[in-house]
Amino acid sequence: MKKLFFKSCLYVVLILITLEIIVRIFHLSKDNPSRFVDEFNVEKWVPNQEGYSVTGNRRQNFSKFYINNSGYNSYREFAPTLNKKELALVGDSFIEGFHQNYYNSIGKKIENKLQDFEVYEYGYAGYDFADQLHLIHAYKETFDKIDYVVLGLKFENDLMRSEYNVVTDRMHLESPLYRNARKIKLLVYTQNIGVLEPLWKLAGRIASIGKKANSNEEKEVTEAEIQYQQNIYVDNFKSLIDKYGFDKTRFILLLNVDVTPQHFLDYLNKNNFEYIDFGNALKQSKKPTTLIYDRHWNNHGREIIANLIAEHIKKSN
Amino acid sequence: MVFNSLDFFIFLAIVFILYWFLFKKSVKLQNILLLISSYIFYGWWDWRFLSLILLSTIVDYFVGIMIHSSESQSKRKRWLWVSVIFNVGLLGFFKYFNFFVDSWIDMFTMFGYEIKSTWTLQVILPVGISFYTFQTMSYSFDLYYKKLKEPTKDFLSFAAFVSFFPQLVAGPIERASNLLSQITNKRSFSYEQSVSGIKLILWGLFKKVVIADSLAPIVDDIFANYSTYPASTLILGVTMFSFQVYGDFSGYSDIAIGTAKLFGIELMSNFKFPNFSRNVAEYWQRWHVSLSTWFRHYVYIPLGGSRVSKLKSVRNIIIIFLVSGFWHGANWTFIFWGAFHALAFIPVFLMGRNTIYKNSVVGENSIFPSLIEIGQVLLTFSIVTFSRIFFRSESITDAFNFIKRITSNFSYEIYNHPMGYRMIDYYILIGVFILYEYRIRKDERAPFKFKSKIIRFIVYTIVILLMLLFFDSNIDRSFIYFQF
Repeated sequence: MKKLFFKSCLYVVLILITLEIIVRIFHLSKDNPSRFVDEFNVEKWVPNQEGYSVTGNRRQNFSKFYINNSGYNSYREFAPTLNKKELALVGDSFIEGFHQNYYNSIGKKIENKLQDFEVYEYGYAGYDFADQLHLIHAYKETFDKIDYVVLGLKFENDLMRSEYNVVTDRMHLESPLYRNARKIKLLVYTQNIGVLEPLWKLAGRIASIGKKANSNEEKEVTEAEIQYQQNIYVDNFKSLIDKYGFDKTRFILLLNVDVTPQHFLDYLNKNNFEYIDFGNALKQSKKPTTLIYDRHWNNHGREIIANLIAEHIKKSN
Repeated sequence: MVFNSLDFFIFLAIVFILYWFLFKKSVKLQNILLLISSYIFYGWWDWRFLSLILLSTIVDYFVGIMIHSSESQSKRKRWLWVSVIFNVGLLGFFKYFNFFVDSWIDMFTMFGYEIKSTWTLQVILPVGISFYTFQTMSYSFDLYYKKLKEPTKDFLSFAAFVSFFPQLVAGPIERASNLLSQITNKRSFSYEQSVSGIKLILWGLFKKVVIADSLAPIVDDIFANYSTYPASTLILGVTMFSFQVYGDFSGYSDIAIGTAKLFGIELMSNFKFPNFSRNVAEYWQRWHVSLSTWFRHYVYIPLGGSRVSKLKSVRNIIIIFLVSGFWHGANWTFIFWGAFHALAFIPVFLMGRNTIYKNSVVGENSIFPSLIEIGQVLLTFSIVTFSRIFFRSESITDAFNFIKRITSNFSYEIYNHPMGYRMIDYYILIGVFILYEYRIRKDERAPFKFKSKIIRFIVYTIVILLMLLFFDSNIDRSFIYFQF
């Protein structure tokens, strides 16, 4: 029995070491850049990092990212002036674009279409509308020099807060425990592909022993409850623009009309908020617009988004 | 609890430690532990159906005693019928009741009489019912045919035999003469046996995770949308299903056999590389061996087997294939599947070639198979794969439409999965899998038979790496044969 136990342990250790080496050699796991909160309380990536973003078990998507001096994934540095024409894209992971080589981003595609514009991509995974407006407000001097600012807005996800605070949960990922765990590439890889999911679920089940079980039954949400929630989101939108400001002459929302409530769209129209709808264009595409195993836009999807923004800016110019 | 879950491996580790450390000295205690563990294992799905297992155990335990104690042959036969009627009755109620009612209604509808179905019941099919009812019946049969000299008087051991968790829900369907004797006798820990068990578990997991689970979304897509795909894609779909169902079921069997080994128990082999069969008869000596053996011993031979006239033998073959098909599920698709195999088997039988490959494997004395063997293997694989159209289709109409699309207007198109899967990965995977299985074809119980320790280590690592590379957290990971 002892022999079985020790030999099994030995094999497990040796196999884990070999797998760690294989994962590193073939770069099967993604690189995780470090994040921080700057002096203006804005959460962003630590400048001047580079690495690779990987999607899928077998590197189905593999792309390089580069974090510039401003702390965002972009091939260019952000240096707006009053003389040049600039466009800023502000948003979450869809704008951040880790799923595409940084030199082939939405911003770059827009620049190819609008020759005289510089495009600055202030994308960061998890940014909601509060993050976006706080960023613009905190870096007012910079953003005042930018001619157009496009803000990505997903109604259901991005309006849950009425004011900005640093998301502490995200910043926990920078704790020494997580930072050290991320050094084990096999761990990152297995976590990303879902192998460790049952382990975390089990840990959760053990942790909840003795506690009152939450009812897992999903309650059917009534129309009135949906309406109530949507009204809260609209109120949050209003609070945020009141607090941080929203320059309607330069700011444009980028949203999907198909998943945005009509009464919010009516509110935007009534109050002269400009917006670009990307839902219809993506829907009409004959080729897939998202990645495999990932709902983020692929190269074709990004091309469509870039086109829409470029066309809108051309018209506004 | 499914074999490919974390819950199972934690459960297995606990039972293993208790079995060999705490209860090591007493067979009785070990059997009690096996019984409790097996009931926990089964109750993980639905504890209500434990009562069926218990009932089946009690009935066959007493039937066994009565068969043995009855002096006249007619009384023995009567008691055997009690076991058969009870177990088949259980199956009939839970598995076939609605099928018979619906078929009856369909028949009337065909003749223009509309009947509203008020008889069908909302019955849940208890997991593994087809397996454990057959296993308990084997005990009564073995006593009746005197393969077992006397019934066991130890009810707990008998209950542990009926519910032995490694093979409870999907086999191998053990005969009492093999498994019960092992359960009643003292087991001692063997390092070699345990290592062999762990290797089989690893190999079984590989077949399940890498072959079956990774092909499942492709097969599902093709069968669900067969009316929109060209013939070439349908052929691809059913070929992939052949590998999926093999990986799924043989993977389960390997894990079951490997798990049993950890407890010092040897189960019968259930799969012996059926994809390398040279005719349909050989295929049935290599595919789901425990079920084929069961039908041969308890249905085919009692009907006269091949020792009667050719005509009656053919009748017997048709009967066992139809029953075997029906055993798989209450659907006409399975009956057609059985009938198709009977039709494929009969010519082999009539030519006297049904046992010629019984004791050999393809490429028996050489590294490579001969061209004739390659042709035979390809032909057999094609026949078996074609039959799986019936096995996989939702209804008999779907099966015939699927076949019609293949045969009526052949067209070729490169298949692209709607989710954009990189298909070349799967083609390479299947190719490598075939070559590896060919390499190990002589011993289904030794999937990692390499002299060099280093090569063995490399193979283990590759197997685990492939499990990571093809793991899909989004798919349903239960085993196909659980539904039977």
